[in-house]
Amino acid sequence: MEITLYNIFKTFFKVGTMLLGGGYVILPLLQSELVDKKNWMSDEELCEYYALGQSIPGIIAANVSIFAGYKLKKISGALAAILGIVSPAFIAIIVLARILEELVNLKFVQSIFWGVGIGILVLIFFAVKEVWSKSITDKFTCFMFFLTFILSGCFKIPPAVLIIFAIFIGLWLQAVKKIEGEE
Amino acid sequence: MSIYLKLFLEFFHIGLFSFGGGYATLPFLYHIADVHKWYTTKQLSDMIAVSSITPGPVGVNVATFAGFTTSGVLGALIATVSVILPSFIIVIAVSKLLNRFRENKFVQSVLYTLKPAGCGLLAAVGVDMFINNINILGMVLLIGLFIAGAFEKRDPLFYLGVSAAAGLIAGYFNLTF
Repeated sequence: MEITLYNIFKTFFKVGTMLLGGGYVILPLLQSELVDKKNWMSDEELCEYYALGQSIPGIIAANVSIFAGYKLKKISGALAAILGIVSPAFIAIIVLARILEELVNLKFVQSIFWGVGIGILVLIFFAVKEVWSKSITDKFTCFMFFLTFILSGCFKIPPAVLIIFAIFIGLWLQAVKKIEGEE
Repeated sequence: MSIYLKLFLEFFHIGLFSFGGGYATLPFLYHIADVHKWYTTKQLSDMIAVSSITPGPVGVNVATFAGFTTSGVLGALIATVSVILPSFIIVIAVSKLLNRFRENKFVQSVLYTLKPAGCGLLAAVGVDMFINNINILGMVLLIGLFIAGAFEKRDPLFYLGVSAAAGLIAGYFNLTF
């Protein structure tokens, strides 16, 4: 599919409607649409946007979409992407605002979202697997993965702290390399 | 100060300072409930539940809802745009810098350590969700979906659709809890 503003908007609008359960599924959804189906970017690029999207302030799903949109068609592409991602959310809230509270308490709605929660788990698992294959390339990156995983999962260290930590490790590694190289 | 300006300032603030995504916005949203009375803390916890059944990130959902309840569609529009605006500016700036300094060794080294860390964070979210939501029937559904996806790559819509249908059926027979 050709990269036009309309196509970017349409693609991100589709992803936006499937963005259930709070935004964590942005990565598997974009992998499916942008990498597998449309070939608009590589898995490596998307993984990079995801890592960067987590390292700056703001809503991660929005950050990643803006990165991807900018890559596709600069500022206008970024605008089309974010409009596409946010529109379904916006429309859903405006249309349903008055009945949302009753809706949440309906039993069949709860049942559906109990199921969707499991579907989201599977999507996250496959996304981790995909990102793993693109970002864990040696023993050190493997160590970084488990360190972050354990500090976040078991010790509840805030993501922001871990991201800043990872950035410092990256800078430090390069600084050490430079010094060793000069000696 | 007009309500629109207040909405803009509060949600721009959230977009600029919430870090780590998803539920990182929550402390800010509770703070708004205390200060502005745009919604009560009870309404906020309802909204968070609601945002799990509407598409879109929690932060965006609550911004739209808070804007809408305080001052209608225009308020919803202002709050939603405000929460996204800092992201937009920062991402464009970072993209431009990255295009320019991609060959820089320090930039490459940071990406080298940042990517596995980002992956680890996502894995931790997944495990956390697993521990909080799983029961025996959920486990059966989970394994079923894994087997369905193990041999061929499937569309995300497949997993969402099948799991929603399974939830509906399980709910009908009172099996979900």
